[in-house]
Parts: sequence; structure tokens; C-alpha cells
Amino acid sequence: MPIDCEDQELLEGFLQETAELLEKLDDDLVALEKSTDDTELMNRIFRSIHTVKGASSFLGFDLLVRVTHKTEDVLNRLRKGELIVTPEIMDVILEATDLVKTLVADIKGGDIIDREIDETINKLIPLLTMTVANPEESASVAETGEPSAPSAEEAVQPEAAAGTGSGESVTVPQEQQPVPSPPPPAVNRPAPEAPKKAALPKAGEKGGDDLSDNTTVRVDVKRLDDLMNQVGELVLERNRMIQLNQDLQGGISDEVSFGEEFGKLTKRMNFVTSELQMQVLKMRMIPVEKVFKKFPRIVRSLARDLGKEVDLQIFGEETELDRSVVDEIGDPLIHLIRNAMDHGLETPADRIAAGKSGTGTLVLSAVHEGNSIIISIKDDGRGIDTERVGQKAIEKGLITPEQLSLMSPREMFDLIFLPGFSTKDKASDLSGRGVGMDVVKTNIKKLNGLIEIKSEQGQGSEFILRLPLTLAIIQSLLVDVEGEVYSIPLASVLETLRVDQREFHVIGGQEVLKLRDMVLPLIRLEQVFKVQRATEANDFCYVVVIGAADKRVGLVVTRLVGQQEVAIKSLGTYLANVPGIAGSTILGDGRVTLIIDPVGMIDGGEGAAAAR
Amino acid sequence: MSNALVPMKAVNAHAGERGELIQLVSFSLDNEEYGVDVLKVREIIRMPVITRVPNTPHYVQGVINLRGKVIPIISMRTRFGLSVAGHDKQTRIMVMDVSGELMGFVVDAVSEVIRVSSSEIQPSPAVMTSGIDQECISGVINQAERLLVLLNLENMFSPEERQCFSSL
Repeated sequence: MPIDCEDQELLEGFLQETAELLEKLDDDLVALEKSTDDTELMNRIFRSIHTVKGASSFLGFDLLVRVTHKTEDVLNRLRKGELIVTPEIMDVILEATDLVKTLVADIKGGDIIDREIDETINKLIPLLTMTVANPEESASVAETGEPSAPSAEEAVQPEAAAGTGSGESVTVPQEQQPVPSPPPPAVNRPAPEAPKKAALPKAGEKGGDDLSDNTTVRVDVKRLDDLMNQVGELVLERNRMIQLNQDLQGGISDEVSFGEEFGKLTKRMNFVTSELQMQVLKMRMIPVEKVFKKFPRIVRSLARDLGKEVDLQIFGEETELDRSVVDEIGDPLIHLIRNAMDHGLETPADRIAAGKSGTGTLVLSAVHEGNSIIISIKDDGRGIDTERVGQKAIEKGLITPEQLSLMSPREMFDLIFLPGFSTKDKASDLSGRGVGMDVVKTNIKKLNGLIEIKSEQGQGSEFILRLPLTLAIIQSLLVDVEGEVYSIPLASVLETLRVDQREFHVIGGQEVLKLRDMVLPLIRLEQVFKVQRATEANDFCYVVVIGAADKRVGLVVTRLVGQQEVAIKSLGTYLANVPGIAGSTILGDGRVTLIIDPVGMIDGGEGAAAAR
Repeated sequence: MSNALVPMKAVNAHAGERGELIQLVSFSLDNEEYGVDVLKVREIIRMPVITRVPNTPHYVQGVINLRGKVIPIISMRTRFGLSVAGHDKQTRIMVMDVSGELMGFVVDAVSEVIRVSSSEIQPSPAVMTSGIDQECISGVINQAERLLVLLNLENMFSPEERQCFSSL
């Protein structure tokens, strides 16, 4: 049934507001389970669900009203202390909120599907009559009104809202009517909700899961003002430039003073444009909270499924990063969290046997470091058993025993990223297909990020993701390869060295360099890019050590040119997939320079090495 | 789009002739004259600095910066298997819209915009001497002194080549 709503604007307002409320609700509910006596939290939850109910009954979304109404009743009993928050009750309430989300998503999709909602409602109904074993029992039942006979038909009527006493109760008098015919005074209904919406200070975010909408951005007014100021300055500098030019043309100023003035102007222009760039970048930034806030809920349900006790601690959720990055890290993080909970943390019994507290700790943190953001997922579980990992990898035919014997512990950790790797013999609905970690690796690679694993057996493991802040403008290292200039994303550059080519060794046809305690495979860019040798062979060359995900290689170049901030330009669809090239950029002199794809380089290098 | 030529209504002049008027940009390549639909041509520029892109088909000369946009440059000569010649003062890049994507084509010289009636377009002869792929040729115009080969750029890259581009 298509939505027949007279006022599209009203509907949009409803959807936006509901999405925000529901998003917050999830978080609050999980928090409530931990601190059951927080009345403020309880009231907030109650208000959220009540608002959703009110608005949906006004707009005539019957299914939504039925679910929210029952949920509200249950919450009301919790609020009054007639029920005590238990994980079981919480499961039902969370299930109901999920149903509400699905229904809202349907409405958003523009088509109301007649979904089966009775199952969830039937789970809610017993909670209305169930009582805590205490003397208030009889009184409470009487107080809640008609909890004993909540047939579905009755539930549609918004009458019970009267008992809530929250001052926001709906006063829509009509019986259940599928088509809304809002009485005139009710048209103002959504208005009182507006301040509440504004009170949520999260810029540019709304909706979660299927309710999300990434086509619009909400920007802090202050940031917009700052931007306007910067643009104003830019206009001033432009006027100054025009003036300078006129003076020179008209012979008012000579070349010496022009040069001097122009030099000053250049400096100011430089300043203003970089400020402007920062401002615009900032507008694209959203707090990582957008992703993080989904996790308490996920962790809770996983913990219950697995029969483990987990304390999730989140730090640095206010850390901001680019929208494009935020959109991409959700999946890898979920996989890492699942992995930590399923494989990392032990069951309470095992933990106590190992001398740890029964409740496992999972720490999720985000922090800025230079031009990257570091997200870490740390558990205090059993750590990675390298022997078992190696054994499994051999069993699954991913590596040979000879290969394993040559591996360092570090490399053994990396085995878990191999597609098809799993320590589980049988796939459960949670894990065992050997896909998750591969997803993590692929997504992080796509973002030019690095993954590092730290693990100590019996003490726990930590997965550290290092991601670039933005994907549009990057810091890059310009290198000269026999006369051609290429740009390497600085985020992937670990170090640069000047070395004598005689120090290179050849192992199995692959040139390598001994760098401190590691052997670094080398890739000669002039060979990969088939550059014609322009200069005389020189004993000395530069090696740029790049890392992507968990691998490192050295790129051999003729000369280092310098560091520059560059805007990434695509090469268009025809040249989108040139091996080893991620894109292009335009340098100060207007020439195009190609940006090297570190990930492709590393994989390409591996491929080439394997082919030999 | 099977026919890249967008016909225009005959206004006057050739009122006596049958068929619709179309405008073509003519250019030369290895002493032969070619034409493409004027509506497909975005601009014609002189040779700028071209940045080579490694590991691409031989006819991709590289990329250029066209006022902040990076576009690929294809050498018409190498694409059509003609002898490779150096660039001179006449060498131009014709920036064209090929299936919604801007691309530059290096040609020996661009001469003029001509109007022809669609009735003048003849199907291409079965055997072409110059080695240009048949699929790219949508017809031949035989006008008094000159012979003009009509190119259809939509067919410039075969599906296999596109595949090859995107799977490189």
C-alpha cells in the first residue's frame, strides 16, 4: 500500500526525527541494562518511544502505533518499577525497536508492507501482566489500566497514552483510521518536537543501518560562518591582486615594488587557501561515533548468543574523520569485534580458570595521529595461538609446512587475513567461513590503511587500524624515476633511505635490501613503469619504504623531489584500472603526475615474485 | 547509439538537395581526410605536456591537464595502425565526448567545419587501404575534389578493448 500522506513535509520531518530517536534509543537501551536505576535515562527512553508513537498515530501508521504502544506500556512499567530490567525483557524490547526500525524503513521506502508484527507484540504482552514478586503487584496492575486484555484492535487506539502523564500525550480522538485526516489543531503536533531534534548536536548524521541517508549533510552553523569569513578574505585578496595588476599596467608601480607586493600577496593567498581547504575538509568530517554507536548493541547481543560476559569500553568516539572513510570502516570493525568476541574472549568459566575476572573487556578506541586516525580493538582474551593458526593454515592448504617453518610470529598473525582461513572446523552463523578477516583486509586496503596485530598468548590481542583522514586531498611524496615524476601517498610511506645499489641482494631472483632486522623486497619503479633510462646508471639511489595493510616493500627511485599536498583526480573510466596507479594529480606547473597505488604495488610485487 | 551523426534540419542553401544537413569537423591523418560530427567535439587544443601512463595500450599516449580535469590522450595514428609521425605546428588534440567520457585524440591537423547533406554519405567501400577498423567508419563522403572518411567514435573501442581497459 503506497503511503497516502497529504503533507509530504510532515512525513519527511517525521522520518528524520524518528530515525534520530531510534538511533539514540538503541544506545540508551543497552546503557540502561547496565545502569538500571538511572531514572533520567529511563525517562529519556520512554520519551523517545512515546514521541515516535505519537507522531505515527497522528500520521496514521497503524502497525507502527501498535508496536510502539505496547513497547511504551512495557517501558512504563519498568519506569514505575513494576518490572525490573532483565536481559530477557531487554531482548524483547530490543526486538520491538528493531521491528519499529523495519516499519519506519518501509515508510521511508514509500511503501507500507503489511508485515507480521503479532509475534513481537505477543512477546511484549506477557510483560504487561508479569510482575515482580512483591506486594505492590495488585496495585500496579490496576494502575496500568487495561493490561489484561490487550487485543490487537484495542492496542491501536491511543488511549493508554493518557496514563503516561508525560505531558506529551496524543490527543487524537479518532478511532483507528487508516487514512489520516488530521484535525486542524493537531497540525502543529510535530512542532514541539523540533527543539528536541536540534538538541542532538551531531552534525551531518542521521539514521542508522537502513534508515541512513548519506545524500545530505548537516553542518554546524559555526563552521559555515568560518567558511564565509575565509571566502570573504579570499575575495579581498583577489581584489588586491586586480589592483596590483592595474597599477603595474598603468605604470603607477614599477616592477620592483610590484614584485615585493606580489610576494606578500602570494603568502596571504597561500594562507587563505589552506585555511579554506581545512574548513571545507572539516565540513566533510563526521565523528567516528556514527559507526561506534552501533557497537554496544551488537556486542550485547553477541555476548548473549555466545554466553560470554563482555564489558565494552569506547574511547575517542568524538574523533572526526572523512565521511567516505566512516562509510567504509563500519564493516571491518564489526568483523573485528565479532572476531574478538568469538575467538578472543573466553567463556566466564575459562576466564576464571585462567585467573582472570569472569567479564572480558573489549576496548574500542579512536585517536588522531598526524594525518591519520588510529582505531584499535583490544581484548583481554586468550590471544592468538600462532601454532594453531599455522596448523590450520596448512590443513586448509593455504600454505605449505615449509613456508610455515620460515615464518616469523608476525607473519603467522597475518595468516588469519588469508581468504578461506578459519580456526573453526564447522561454520556457525557467527564465524567459521573464513570471510570476515578477508573483508577487513580488503576494506582497509581500499582505504590505503594499515593493519597491525599485537597479541600475547593468554593476555589478549589488539588490532590496530591506521587510516587516512580523508581521501580527497592527500599528502604525497614526489619522486623522480629516470626523469618522470610520480607521487606516492605519504600515508603509506614509512621511511626513505639513500642506499648504494651494491648493498642490494638477490634472493630467488627478487632484489632485496637488508634493513635493520628485516629483509625488504624491492621494486624498481623504472621496470614496473617501463621508463626509458634517461640518466647514467648511478650507484646511489633512493628507496622509499611503503607499507599497506600488513606488508612492506621498498620502491627504488632515482631521486626524491619533495613533499606536497595534492588533490586526487581520477583518470576517468578508460584508465581507471592501470596497474600500480591509483589516480593522478596536477602539480603547481599544471603538469599531470600519476599517483602510485601502494596496495597495488605491493600485491603486484608479490605476484611478480611468485611468478618467478 | 548506432549513428553518431545527429542530423540537423536543412535550413536554406541546399534546399534543393534531399536529406538533412550535418556538420562535420574535418581533420587530416596521414594525408587522408576524416570527419567527425561537430557535436561530439568539445574543443581543439595544441599539444600540451603529456604525462605518460605506464602499462596502457600502445595507442594511449598519456594524460593531460585540461583546465583541472585529467583526460586521456589517444594517438589516432597508432590507434589506426598508421605510421608514427612526430608532432609539428599543425598537430592538434581534438577533445571529444566518447560515450559520455572526455578523451583527447591526437591528429595531424584540423582543417575546417563542413556541412554536408546526409544523402551525400555513402557506405564505406568493403576494402579500406589505410588499415582503419571498419567498425569506426560510418561512411564516406565523396565531394567534388575531396574524399572524406566519416568516423564514429562510439565504436572506436571495441567491447573487448573496453573490457581490457577496465580489467587492466
